[in-house]
Amino acid sequence: MSTNPSEVFPARLKAARGKRALTQGDLARKTKLQPSAVSHFETGARKPSFDNLKRLADALEVTIDYLLGRVDEFKGVGPTTDRIHRHIEKLSESDRQIVEDILKSMNTRSRKEE
Amino acid sequence: MFSPDSATREAEKFLCELNITELPINPFAIAKGLGIKVYPKQIDSEGVSGMLIRHDDQFAIVYATHIDSEGFQRFSISHEIGHYKLPGHVDAIFNEENVHQSRAGFVSNDQYEREADHFAAGLLMPTDLFLAHMKTAGEGLDAIEKLASICITSISATAIRYVQQTDIPAAVIQSVSSTIEWCWMSNVLKEIPGLDWIKKCTSLPRNTATYDFNRNKSNVIEAKRIDSTSNLQDWFNCQFDVEVIEEVKGLGKYGRTLTVLTAEEFDLEELQEEEEIDDSWTPHFRR
Repeated sequence: MSTNPSEVFPARLKAARGKRALTQGDLARKTKLQPSAVSHFETGARKPSFDNLKRLADALEVTIDYLLGRVDEFKGVGPTTDRIHRHIEKLSESDRQIVEDILKSMNTRSRKEE
Repeated sequence: MFSPDSATREAEKFLCELNITELPINPFAIAKGLGIKVYPKQIDSEGVSGMLIRHDDQFAIVYATHIDSEGFQRFSISHEIGHYKLPGHVDAIFNEENVHQSRAGFVSNDQYEREADHFAAGLLMPTDLFLAHMKTAGEGLDAIEKLASICITSISATAIRYVQQTDIPAAVIQSVSSTIEWCWMSNVLKEIPGLDWIKKCTSLPRNTATYDFNRNKSNVIEAKRIDSTSNLQDWFNCQFDVEVIEEVKGLGKYGRTLTVLTAEEFDLEELQEEEEIDDSWTPHFRR
C-alpha cells in the first residue's frame, strides 16, 4: 500500500524550512499563513491544501513534488502530474486527450519560465 | 476529514479574504486570482464533469460543457477550486500509476467529492448573502428559481442551499423516472418525530404528482412544471396528517426532476395533541 502524500509532507516541510534557515514565524510571514498552521503542518496535526503547498513551495524555493515526497531533490527534476476528477467513473478517451493537450501547454510554459 | 459544513465555511472564509461581498460570485475570476488556468471541454465531449490538474507547480481546471447550464459549469469549476483549497485533498490525487487503486478506493474518495460539492455551494451561495436575498424571494420553487438566477447556479444546487437555510418545513427531492436520487430536508422538518428519512435510490411514492409527472418523459425534457398538493404522510410515512404544497419541475436535458415540498409552519405540540384526540376516538378492541 502506498503512502498518502500528506503523510510524507510534515518531514519534508521541516527539512526544507531547516535548509533555508527559517523559523516557523518567518515562513508564516512569507506565506501569509498563521504561525500555528505551519506548526500544525510540521506535526502532522493539519493536512495541507494544494493552495498551502503552492505558497510553501514558492516561499521555500522547492517544488511541490519535493513537499509531496515525489522527488528527493529540492528543485529541477522532471515534473510530475496529479489529477483530481469529478465523476471519475466517466473518464473517457477524449478526457485523456484533453489532459495531454493541457499538459503539453503547461510544459511549454514551464520551459519558458526556466 | 472535514465535515461538509466545514467545507462550506472554508469557502465562505475564502470569500471574506478576497473581500467579495456581492452576488453572483465569479469562479473564473477566483481561479485566475489563484493562478489556475481554466479550460472548457468541447461541447460534444461527455466524460468527467471537471478535473483539477497539477503539473509541476502549475494548476489547471477543465470543465465540461455538454450540459447546457451556466450554473452547472460554474458549479463544476467551484468544485475543482474546492479540491485546490481544501485541506487534505492532496491525498485524493489520481494518476496513471495508481488508477486501479484509486478506483478501488472510490468510497473514501467520495468523501472528497462531497466536501468539494459543499465548498462549491458555499462559494457560489455564501450563507450571509444568500440569506439576505432569501428574505425577499418568498418560499418554494419560485424562491429557488429567483435565487438561482441571482447566484447563477443550477436549480438543484440552489434547492439544496435553500432547504438548508429556510425556517419553514420543506424538502427538496431529485428523481429520475420512478427513483429518488436524493432528498434534503429543512431543519424544522427534521425535528418532526417519527419521520422516515428518504434514502437514496428508493422508489417515488405512487400517489404523488411527481410520480405521475415522471411517467411522461417529455415533461422532464421540456422542463415543464406542475403545482399540486400531497401529504407529509405520502412522502415520509409519518403519523401527522399535514398537507404540503408539491411543486414539480423537469430539469430538461439533465433528465431529472426536482420536487419541492413546503408546508405552512405548524406547532408540533398542537399537532401531537390533535393526533392524541384522533387516537382516543379510534375504537380499540380487546384481544
